[in-house]
Amino acid sequence: MMEWLQPIQNLLGPAWLPIWTAVKIMLIVGPLMGGVAYLTLAERKVIGWMQVRIGPNRVGYFGLLQPLADGLKLFMKEIIIPSGSNKLLFVFAPVITLMTALAAWAVVPFNAELVLSNANAGLLYILAMTSVGVYGVIIAGWASNSKYAFLGCLRSAAQIVSYEIAMGFALVTVLMAAQSLNLGDIVKGQHGNYGMLNWYIIPLFPMFIVYLISGVAETNRAPFDVAEGESEIVAGFHVEYSGMAFALFFLGEYANMILIGFLTSIMFLGGWLSPVPFLPDSIVWLFAKVAFVLFLFLWFRATFPRYRYDQLMRLGWKVFIPVSLIWVVVVGAWMQTSYWLW
Amino acid sequence: MSFFDVVFYLFATITVIASVGVVVARNPVHAALFLVLAFCSAAGIWMLLEAEFLAITLILVYVGAVMVLFLFVVMMLDINLVQLREGFWRWFPFGALIAGLMVFEMIWVLGSRQTADVSKAVAHAADYSNTKELGRLIYTHYVYPFEIAAVILLVAMVAAIALTMRRRKGVKSQNVADQVKVKKADRLRIVKMKSEPKGSEN
Amino acid sequence: MEKIKEFFKTFLLVELLKGMALTGRYMFARKITVQFPEEKTPQSFRFRGLHAQRRYENGEERCIGCKLCEAICPALAIKIAVAEREDGTRRTTQYDIDLTKCIFCGFCEESCPVDAIVETRIFEYHGEKRGDLYYTKPMLLAVGDKHEAQIAKDRLADSKYR
Repeated sequence: MMEWLQPIQNLLGPAWLPIWTAVKIMLIVGPLMGGVAYLTLAERKVIGWMQVRIGPNRVGYFGLLQPLADGLKLFMKEIIIPSGSNKLLFVFAPVITLMTALAAWAVVPFNAELVLSNANAGLLYILAMTSVGVYGVIIAGWASNSKYAFLGCLRSAAQIVSYEIAMGFALVTVLMAAQSLNLGDIVKGQHGNYGMLNWYIIPLFPMFIVYLISGVAETNRAPFDVAEGESEIVAGFHVEYSGMAFALFFLGEYANMILIGFLTSIMFLGGWLSPVPFLPDSIVWLFAKVAFVLFLFLWFRATFPRYRYDQLMRLGWKVFIPVSLIWVVVVGAWMQTSYWLW
Repeated sequence: MSFFDVVFYLFATITVIASVGVVVARNPVHAALFLVLAFCSAAGIWMLLEAEFLAITLILVYVGAVMVLFLFVVMMLDINLVQLREGFWRWFPFGALIAGLMVFEMIWVLGSRQTADVSKAVAHAADYSNTKELGRLIYTHYVYPFEIAAVILLVAMVAAIALTMRRRKGVKSQNVADQVKVKKADRLRIVKMKSEPKGSEN
Repeated sequence: MEKIKEFFKTFLLVELLKGMALTGRYMFARKITVQFPEEKTPQSFRFRGLHAQRRYENGEERCIGCKLCEAICPALAIKIAVAEREDGTRRTTQYDIDLTKCIFCGFCEESCPVDAIVETRIFEYHGEKRGDLYYTKPMLLAVGDKHEAQIAKDRLADSKYR
């Protein structure tokens, strides 16, 4: 498939591997940033439609240039560093957020051979990266030297840590079913003769719901966006941020959303596998599934009012964790019987 | 020096600097963040030894959960540095003794002939999954020690909760389960009334 | 039995799905957005927008400097200075309205005995400097001169109800 690259490879010699890897990283990050930009437009359009409005339509036909205009605006704005803040950490926090959000993409497979790093412990790696992402929030809240930012960061950190447990258990059932931590193998495990019926969403449906809702909570999206809670704590951990520093948080949040979309599609919805047996498997299916999951995210935001903080913690600890623990046992027992068909 | 060595020394240097930072940083939050950095670079070194399960678990558990809770507490504490440093010289000999003891033990363990030949990483095939191997060992050969350790941790957790839990009287809090259970019929009564004829109000 | 039903209702997220069905339906509903500069919502003839000072048909300004509007203005947005003109009539030398203070209550218009100060239908004005929204007498008269036809029509329409 890559024969035409052979002459370049010979020319560069030992420098080939790092350069080729950098090119591959660019090929993932570039479209991802474009996806983030247009996800913001899609969000405003979809929520607008659901609220009987038409959404942005002034910048470019159908508002298609709106993300560029927003980006340009943020780029031109001054970055204000509050006095009394911890300057180094203040600037560092948005970088951590975006960095971890991007690092997780290293192990995401786009199709049977298209993956940056075919790591054995890919699932664990993604869990680790998303859990490190919480530091961006914590450091931002603390370094701002502001009460609202601090309260927002405490809320957000507690929320992310709590929902990670439920999310982890949901993933445990997936890796039990797939017998592998490698994301590519997880998709291959869902391959079969019956299309959609072979996907893990069928036996693991409760875990799919738990994972999806935890994913919403993990990315601090409505209805779990108490970290921002503009009616109570202004905008939470990033009140003090402006211009590009704020934009980095924004990019990180949306990149994480897209990541959750990919993971949900890969682990429960069969990744690049076709939903019906007579159509070929293709990366197009993966993108369609991701778009569907992201649409659900937007739909949730347009529909549900924000959770109160104690309700949110109760849902995480008293509902999701017991439910997922029970389902781990159920799946374990189920797999020992002959009724396990996946 | 191979690429492997370069990476190793890079991570090792960062680990050492970060560990020193944990001890000398004045601000406790900085100390905690240095500890996070030390964990991350230590995970990098483990990764070099092809112990990817351990490395990632270190990040996931210690960096992602334990240190977050740690930072939580540290950030909310009101720490008076002067008060903290009061007894420094009084306790210095004791601390130095413990530190010296630990260094001695480490040299003893790492320098002995038995550990010298296992300190090199064993090369494996690319499809070798040490997660699987670790799981196999833990749940077969070491199943009892593993389960006992788990039970001890559980007991410790229950004990910690039992020690700190107290029921205060007169606290007003909402019971979410009760709130969820509420139905329209419990609260709302629709009354049908005949409208009065026009002009009867005066 | 009721409890079991309730349990399943909660765990199957019935109410959440109902909510999502509602918003999902509205996604395809006819949109009610008014595309502002091209489309405008209908206005009442009593609309209270930018202020104007009117003149009589012969070009004489209506205002006689009675200061009733200044007295009634709840936001203290009006400032008036009065002097005698050469022909012996009482006229204002200064009539300023600070539109950043004005709350557009319409009291000045109600209090005016000669219908001199009125509020027009204009609401899309702007200022680029802070001082731009401090309207002086010539500015108010200019607004009145420009929109006299519309102003007179609106007063006529409203006269039935006064």
